[in-house]
Amino acid sequence: MTDIKTPSVSNFDQETPVTAANNARKKSHFLLLAPGVFWMILFLVIPLAMMVYVSFWTQTTFAVNPTLTAKSWITFFSSETYVNALLRTGRLWLTVLVLTFVIGYPVALFVGQLVRSETLRTILLVTCVIPFWTSFLIRVLAWRPMLGKEGAVNILLQKFGLISTPIDVLLFTEFSVVIGLVQIYVVFMVGPIAFMLGRIDHSLLEAARDLGASTWTIFRKIIFPLSLPGVAVGAIFVSVMVLGEFATPAALSGRKVNLLGNIIVTQVGSLKWAFAAVVGVVLTIVMALVITALLRIVNLRKEL
Amino acid sequence: MYHLNGLRWVLGCFTALFLVFLYGPFVVMTILSFQQGPEGGPQFPIIEWSTFWYKHVLSIAEPSRVAPLPIGDALLRSLTLAFATMVVATLLGTLSAQAFRRNFKGSGVVFYLIVLGMMVPGVLLGLGMALVADQFDIARTWWGTAFALHVVYTFPFAFLVMLAIFNRFDKTLEEASWMLGVNPVKTFRKVTFPMIFPGVLSSMLFAFTLSYDEFPRTLFTGGSEATMPIAIYGTFSVEIHPNLFAFGVLTTLASFALLTIYGVLMALSVRRSKIQSSGLQEEIA
Repeated sequence: MTDIKTPSVSNFDQETPVTAANNARKKSHFLLLAPGVFWMILFLVIPLAMMVYVSFWTQTTFAVNPTLTAKSWITFFSSETYVNALLRTGRLWLTVLVLTFVIGYPVALFVGQLVRSETLRTILLVTCVIPFWTSFLIRVLAWRPMLGKEGAVNILLQKFGLISTPIDVLLFTEFSVVIGLVQIYVVFMVGPIAFMLGRIDHSLLEAARDLGASTWTIFRKIIFPLSLPGVAVGAIFVSVMVLGEFATPAALSGRKVNLLGNIIVTQVGSLKWAFAAVVGVVLTIVMALVITALLRIVNLRKEL
Repeated sequence: MYHLNGLRWVLGCFTALFLVFLYGPFVVMTILSFQQGPEGGPQFPIIEWSTFWYKHVLSIAEPSRVAPLPIGDALLRSLTLAFATMVVATLLGTLSAQAFRRNFKGSGVVFYLIVLGMMVPGVLLGLGMALVADQFDIARTWWGTAFALHVVYTFPFAFLVMLAIFNRFDKTLEEASWMLGVNPVKTFRKVTFPMIFPGVLSSMLFAFTLSYDEFPRTLFTGGSEATMPIAIYGTFSVEIHPNLFAFGVLTTLASFALLTIYGVLMALSVRRSKIQSSGLQEEIA
């Protein structure tokens, strides 16, 4: 029924100057969007599609040829090393995510809600950002003299008489990788949460207090729910970066802790393109699941 | 709200500890950058305080068995790349955000297509691009394939910043200017640009820093000519010397200077717009 009506309406519309203006607007719209969209399709969508495609190619010793096969996929899931790397990536990601939240939330709460002076708040936020001006790789490396057997932590602990012999499991273990990752990425959790907390209308909290709500109730019923989008955005940031990591584990585990990212780097290094692509697709799927789940909590477009 | 003082105190201490955690490695790095050279390694104890590694970074130390960092070439490449990325990403971000000021069909898809650029882990994008380059016989260079990915990565940041700016943007000001017969170019220069300037500056800052330090995307697509992060990564597999730490301290100081310039520009822009608006009010009165 609508089929009959629609053409007549649009025919009528075409005659009016409003549609002409609309068309011009559409055209300028297209011109504004085209460069960005074009760039993303060419350099983002096509490479990712290529990765999926190549994961089904046939891998020979030093080359790939486009004969389709699932062999690389079978190799991945039947090899204990690779499945273990997948599980380890998941475990490390979850550990780091929980730790960045547990450490980051109180800091964000302090900065976003309890600091009254605007200047102090800005100073604190800038202080959190300054370390990012040192190259990421150098920041990772700086953990070595921190955690090593003769590192700063051991020296301090011995000086205060807390331990008698240096602890040597601090460095080149999964522990050091987790510490390094948490320190590098925790700020990405603090930032969005502090931002959301800072936007909370204080009259809301005063009203709750006037009505007799306790501090804990106010936190549970008002502050925390309102900060949740920030938590989700922070979690997205941390997840994206931790899941794709390979440099931190390489530097702080003495190449003992291999994540999916490390396997990709090794495979590319030995020109095993098809196999690297398989690992890449697996990582993409993990990634997509995590982000989709987090995006259910937050509508990115609305929060801006 | 004085009954919150206890809580404020506890969380304040926690935040202080947090800052110690955040800065600990940096402090250690700074101390060790003054290690004696060239024999002193990147660990405690300090054999003797010296500025050897700083001279080493700047290539004014006596030649030793430790190869100098390829500062000159790599740094120049990194800066050029970061600058080009900054320009293109900010431009694309502003154009796309401008388009988003009006709702349109498929805006959801386009929004997530752009945001995807910052959500896909670098190693995946690097791999995908390397595969494309390998298949189509495209040379992998830092100014070609790597540059394309740097923009993919930083354009979403610029886009989101500009979107946030436009969301808080009072459209009636622009319209009033058009109504009064001011031509579009002048309107843009006098009305629109001053309002979006802080956003443009932030986008540029984001894009420049992210690109300058960008590493996983460049690793597979940068080709044989290394950018600074790749050069540093190269030292991972060999022995590490305190020259890296000296370099870290130097770059931090340099970035500090850059941040100060940004702060000054920002403050000036805020003050100028304040003066302009108060001037306008006086004229009207």
